[in-house]
Amino acid sequence: MKLIYVLSVLFAFLCCNLISSKDILADSKYSETEVPDGGTIIGNVKYMGELAAVGLNLYRDWELSDTSKTTSEKLICSKVNSGLKNAVVSLKDITQGKKKIIPAIHPIIDQQNNYFIPHVIAIVSGTTVDFLNGDEQMHNIHTRSTRNQPFNFGTTYKQRISKKFDYPEIIKITCDLHKNAYAWIVVLDHPYFDATDRNGYFEICDIPPGTYTFQVWHEELGTLEKEVTVHPKETTTIEFVYSQN
Amino acid sequence: MKPKVLLNKVSFWCVTAVTSAALMQSIAPVTANEVKIPTEVTDLGKDTYKKYCSPCHGEEGKGDGPVARSMLPKPRDFTRGAYKFRTTPSGSLPTDEDIYRTVSFGVPNSTMIPWDILTEEQRASVIPVLKSFSEAFEVRKPDAPVEVGLRVRPTEKCLAEGKKIYEEKLECWKCHGIEGRGDGPSAAEQEDDFGFPIKPFDFTTGKFKGGNSPQDVYLRFTTGLNGTPMPSFAKELTDEERWCLTYYVMSLIKPEETKK
Repeated sequence: MKLIYVLSVLFAFLCCNLISSKDILADSKYSETEVPDGGTIIGNVKYMGELAAVGLNLYRDWELSDTSKTTSEKLICSKVNSGLKNAVVSLKDITQGKKKIIPAIHPIIDQQNNYFIPHVIAIVSGTTVDFLNGDEQMHNIHTRSTRNQPFNFGTTYKQRISKKFDYPEIIKITCDLHKNAYAWIVVLDHPYFDATDRNGYFEICDIPPGTYTFQVWHEELGTLEKEVTVHPKETTTIEFVYSQN
Repeated sequence: MKPKVLLNKVSFWCVTAVTSAALMQSIAPVTANEVKIPTEVTDLGKDTYKKYCSPCHGEEGKGDGPVARSMLPKPRDFTRGAYKFRTTPSGSLPTDEDIYRTVSFGVPNSTMIPWDILTEEQRASVIPVLKSFSEAFEVRKPDAPVEVGLRVRPTEKCLAEGKKIYEEKLECWKCHGIEGRGDGPSAAEQEDDFGFPIKPFDFTTGKFKGGNSPQDVYLRFTTGLNGTPMPSFAKELTDEERWCLTYYVMSLIKPEETKK
């Protein structure tokens, strides 16, 4: 009799747990399936506008310490092929696809010489990001977000703060003590995304065949969209071009 | 035992119990817990908000009421769910009691007055209205309030340690200034989450915005002020260090400044 009682209580508890966890995940549209004949998209994001004021170092000939030089991280563009760094390419409105792999080794955002390194990271929802302070001075890590819980922690040298991001959102991170330091975390609820490298290249693989809208996001230049058909077991090349204005 | 003595004893204990009960009733403080805070938006809440809050905070809680333009610090924009004075950890939403406290006691050094001219029921009824402006309350829940550690005594050693934290470890002076006048080197460029300039607090005035007791000041270090550059130091400082910093910061109060 006692055993039945205990078991029924346990069962009720488990049911409650299941219901509540379902509630939390209710708005995630993405479901995981096997993708045996996935296609690959590779491509390039370019910026064809003028780079006149961008990356210009006004204090080039001055003898200043590194910290007082101001360089902008807003638009980093390769001189060779106009490839745009720090843009995030993702699939829009995908509902089924490969398994979401949440990295066991946490991605890191470090603060070095009053800058956040890297400047932009793209992660899948559920990933924990570690924030480090590599400078021998005080910094703070201040995020602005609505769905994910924002936070603002002061950090000293070698401090490490881990935070989990559960919902898709584009989050800006700043350090209030150093105004030119900021970074972006792009959280997506599916694993089909990539951040461009310094020459503007990206690669997204194992996409179920079909026609999709690809979206590229950049902090300064906004978003671009393009419809692309993905063929099974084939590599398709696409190009996004941000023209001036 | 004689029956008379027994009667005496019984009556003595009865009287004691009744008096102590009466005393408990009258001594018990009137806290936010005793006010029933409604969970749904009520008509009383809507009326109270429209009449008393919306001139500054705006009809839709965006902090853009008709009088808001001339104010600095700006009235709070409720749409982000960023509340400064809380007992919950950094970034978390406030508990209902936290909002009730701020409404009742106001914020010194700003245009937010203590709304004690309203009845307790009216003040409580506004809280669901404020929460309804932000979608954050729909998607997140407030975290549990932080634990306030055992208070240490404000000895000279403790104050010296607080000074060391203020000047070397956390570099509080970068914003708040060496003397605590809010004139540090980074002070001028501070902005809040809504893009308005914000002044680091001047400790010499002694009018702490979240309350003047050591526990209130301690909570500001622990929880941070959401929506402002002031971070939480819960991960940096131990409990004792936070108390030391609390006493040091309170020792920066200048009596002549408080009278201004």
